[in-house]
Amino acid sequence: MEYLRRIAKPISHFVIFSFLWLGLQLPAAHASIVGTETLVSAAQVQQDRVQIMNLLDRKDIQEQLISHGVTVEQAKARVDSLSDTETHALADQLNSLPAGGDSILGVIVLIFLVLLVTDILGLTDVFPFVKKHRR
Amino acid sequence: MKPVQPPGIGWVVLLMTLLAVAGCATQPLQSYQLLKSPAAQQPPVELIAVPFFPQEEFQCGPAALATVLNWSGTQLTPENLAPQVYLPGRQGSLQIELLAATRRHGRIPYGLRPELETLINEVRAGHPVLVLQNLGLSWYQKWHYAVVVGFDLQQDQIILRSGREQRHVVPIKLFERTWRRGDYWAITVTTPDHLPVSAEEIPYLNAVVPLERLQRWQDTATAYTTALTQWPDSITARMGLGNSRYALHDLRGAEAAYRHVTQQDPGFAPAYNNLAQTLADQGQLHAAENAARQAIHLTTPSNALFTIYQETLQQIIAQQAMRTPETP
Repeated sequence: MEYLRRIAKPISHFVIFSFLWLGLQLPAAHASIVGTETLVSAAQVQQDRVQIMNLLDRKDIQEQLISHGVTVEQAKARVDSLSDTETHALADQLNSLPAGGDSILGVIVLIFLVLLVTDILGLTDVFPFVKKHRR
Repeated sequence: MKPVQPPGIGWVVLLMTLLAVAGCATQPLQSYQLLKSPAAQQPPVELIAVPFFPQEEFQCGPAALATVLNWSGTQLTPENLAPQVYLPGRQGSLQIELLAATRRHGRIPYGLRPELETLINEVRAGHPVLVLQNLGLSWYQKWHYAVVVGFDLQQDQIILRSGREQRHVVPIKLFERTWRRGDYWAITVTTPDHLPVSAEEIPYLNAVVPLERLQRWQDTATAYTTALTQWPDSITARMGLGNSRYALHDLRGAEAAYRHVTQQDPGFAPAYNNLAQTLADQGQLHAAENAARQAIHLTTPSNALFTIYQETLQQIIAQQAMRTPETP
């Protein structure tokens, strides 16, 4: 007991000090700093949109789209309506295509066509039987 | 050990399916083009100094990761790494686990473009490249991690540290086929003071940011500084540097970085907000208030960051009130 009494004081000091120290540290944690992660994803989204729009400005792609009956404005409007996540997924797909090669043009055009088609149909209408089952 | 798919919704899945079909059918091997290009004439390279860890049963992930991590200056064995990256249930390692383990050791894992030439360029610059291969077929999968340490294009060779082989020599087309089945997944592992030669601004910063969550602020500060040597005008990198310094309690350094950004782009609200917070922490409440008001002034209420800016301003005003109590 004597021993406990002797150490009680330093321990309580230590505990009090720790709490005070923690209290001093806390405001920093609450500081309203805009995190780098937020800024990088914002920069990413901006870059993705520019990249996709640049593709749509390419003459060969415009010609292909027009030959499929799609105007560049329609395609751009569709891209504009994409969410950040969707934009990133789209840009990711475009980036994962290997550089060069004639087949790439076709794939890019296909991507935009799929975009427009899914917009017109709405994905849920692609498989109407799924809905019928629920009724 | 499935390749990790990017997040996607609805049509993205459809898109990927279409692409996969289109890709398989038409995508030619890059090797043909590379071997015909002038790049094929370059002298052979072999990074002899890259260490070798013979692989234990199924543990190609830890072995390959130990190879690149030790090359970058750490002292780790596959046995050290196995608990961090090896999933016994799947007898393998996921790519994200390799990325996470790399970051835990203060290294930057940078995902390369899916191009043979990029891979070759990194090796020529002296960086071993960790790759994911599918040694089987697309429907009979045999996933494998290995490290590319050399090439001799004239002799049609890629040299790998692979499995139990210290010097596994493969014809380029064969290598590409196995690598293509791994979705051309490849990373370099570098110290924060060193950039991969193929590094691009946003992807590199994306590779650095997760180290912030691990609170490796000294590493991120170095990495952002390194990024700024390559892209001196990168606002995102400089904001990252400011944030890292702020976290390291280097308020003056943080202030300098944020101020630099406000001069570079006077319309960039986040810099004013972070500057305001940094000034407030230094007790310069009047200047802090001005900066916070500028951040709000530049932003529309619909912006997701608007409430943060308001919070900053309110905190500063509250601090001012505490400092100068109202006199009757």
